[in-house]
Amino acid sequence: MKRMMTAIGALLLAGTAAAQQGDALLDMGWDEIVETARGGEVNVFMWGGADNINAYVSDYIGGILEEEYDIALNRVPLSDTAEAVNIVLGEVEAGATTGAVDMIWINGENFRTMKQGDLAWCGYVDKLPNAELVNFDNPAIANDFGTPVEGCEVPWSRVQFAFAHDTARTSEPPRSISELLAWVEANPGRFTYPAPPDFTGAAFVRHVFTHVAGGPDALIGPFDQAKFDAVAEETWEILNGIEPHLWREGVTYPTSITQLQQMFANQEVDLFFTYDPAEVGTAVVNGIFPETARSYGLSDGTLANTNYMVIPVNAANKAAAMVTQNLLLSAEAQLEKAQPEVWGAATVIEPDRAPDEVQAGFAALERHPSVVSIEELGQAALPELQADWTSAIEDGWIRNVGN
Amino acid sequence: MIGRGHPWLSLAPALGVIAVLFGGGLALGLAGSFGMGRGGASLEAWIAVLSEGRVWRSLGLSLWIAFASTALSCVIGLGAALLLRRRFPGQGLARLLFQINLTIPHAVGALGILWLLSQSGFVARLSAGAGLIDGPAGFPALTQDRFAIGIIAHYVWKEVPFIGLILLANMQSLGDDPESAARSLGASPFAAMRLVLLPLLMPALIRAGAIVFAFSFGAWEVPVLLGQSAPTALPVLAWQRFTDPDLAARPEAMALAMLIALVSAVLIRAAFAGRNR
Repeated sequence: MKRMMTAIGALLLAGTAAAQQGDALLDMGWDEIVETARGGEVNVFMWGGADNINAYVSDYIGGILEEEYDIALNRVPLSDTAEAVNIVLGEVEAGATTGAVDMIWINGENFRTMKQGDLAWCGYVDKLPNAELVNFDNPAIANDFGTPVEGCEVPWSRVQFAFAHDTARTSEPPRSISELLAWVEANPGRFTYPAPPDFTGAAFVRHVFTHVAGGPDALIGPFDQAKFDAVAEETWEILNGIEPHLWREGVTYPTSITQLQQMFANQEVDLFFTYDPAEVGTAVVNGIFPETARSYGLSDGTLANTNYMVIPVNAANKAAAMVTQNLLLSAEAQLEKAQPEVWGAATVIEPDRAPDEVQAGFAALERHPSVVSIEELGQAALPELQADWTSAIEDGWIRNVGN
Repeated sequence: MIGRGHPWLSLAPALGVIAVLFGGGLALGLAGSFGMGRGGASLEAWIAVLSEGRVWRSLGLSLWIAFASTALSCVIGLGAALLLRRRFPGQGLARLLFQINLTIPHAVGALGILWLLSQSGFVARLSAGAGLIDGPAGFPALTQDRFAIGIIAHYVWKEVPFIGLILLANMQSLGDDPESAARSLGASPFAAMRLVLLPLLMPALIRAGAIVFAFSFGAWEVPVLLGQSAPTALPVLAWQRFTDPDLAARPEAMALAMLIALVSAVLIRAAFAGRNR
């Protein structure tokens, strides 16, 4: 009975604490925020399709949180980030002020949705001590797929799109979009891409779209219907043109990037691509891809983007979420995440703002031989298009190519 | 206490759960499809959904999957039940083997079908090893295919034991008497089965078939794993709309979900009505 009373008391206290959060936190100093967060929990909703990423968050980050702050990290795996946005949207529509979601791994269209719907908590980022390590003047970090970040989310990693081939099977892979289109015709049945709305498949279509537009400069800025129509028509013509040479004569497409990964592993197709080249190294280590698999960039560039962590406006544990975000941004955690055997994710902090030993760690990073170097990829990085462009391209593909 | 009061009183807990959880979800979904909770009500989502060619193609595919799976499961399930009701040595083992996959979740079964029947699957590798085909692409497309063969194969594999189990229980409660009576009046074994046993089994078969139909028409996990990219089964399309980053697509997702429920309910009602006529 006594124990029950204590439990009820704790629940009541937790309720009041949650209600006090939000604006009250913005008036606190960092130490006070940490004390508020101590002993609580944080519910992190994130895409859960990669074991190494899950382990990094649950074990490494969760371990430090537990040890140093007595915060319990609950990682909730998603197959589509939009699911978490849906939860927040439903809660906010229903007027729930203490939501189940404290943090979402997010970027692009989903962030735009949250910002548009006033679902993101904003204005707290400069409270985090480790935010100093980030260069928020860098346009690639200040804009999430063209949507200004404006203190509504905290960057976590940088990724850049890369292709992959098996040197034992395909010694000379195509190294630009125009070479790829010719290669597909010369090698019938050996290439395909996941049908949008799959995230990676849609990114591949954007590469072709950018290629047709003559480079990203023509597409930078807000959506322009006339410009879109002109480029889109030729893009659909090209993609419909290669259809007979695709896997299954283009009658159907893989429905997810996981399926394409399995098909590449099973030698059903000869090329793979991913928005996270470190994945190729992981697949080799796990024995899914052969040792001879290599990732590579394109001479005309590949798309790059930054992904972030956002705190929903109705998050119940905002203080704990802030402590978690600050930890994710710490130089040590960013270095750990960059280790190839951990994840191999590119950092969002400026290494020269970090402590000396972390700088040395970044300089000494060794990458898996199957993973293309970030420097090599970065020589030709294309900025992501604004969300209006990406959704128009997805819809157009579904209507004109994938039907 | 249960069973002593008024039937409605005793049923109240069960009915309450159904009314709140199921009815509430249905009502919220319907409200969502009219864009309510987002300021005002409109038919926009319904008009958009019903005037879209993709939705009709998806509806056609889902109807094909559900009809084919139900028909095949009913025929094979009935045949299996008729065979299994006889007494023979090892009957217990045969029944166990027949029912064993009832416990396997659909998603697991669908992955099994993928490993077995896809172009890089076990059967394809075996055929390639035996020199029957040149490579993976030479194997006929049985998953992610135009005719949804993989999906239907999965549902038949999973639902035959379900139908068989219900019919076996039904036959047990009927006993041998009706058929014996027919036989003693001079009917051949086949005639006794066709004219006496089958009509007696029909109500149970239609009920079991209705469950299979509703499930294979409305389930999402099997077509998402085994289906082709376009057209997708209706539930997959609804899910895609639900997870679309564009908030305007939410009411359309709700309208699609309501459409699934509506078509399923109307068809099952029609099957029962046709039987009772």
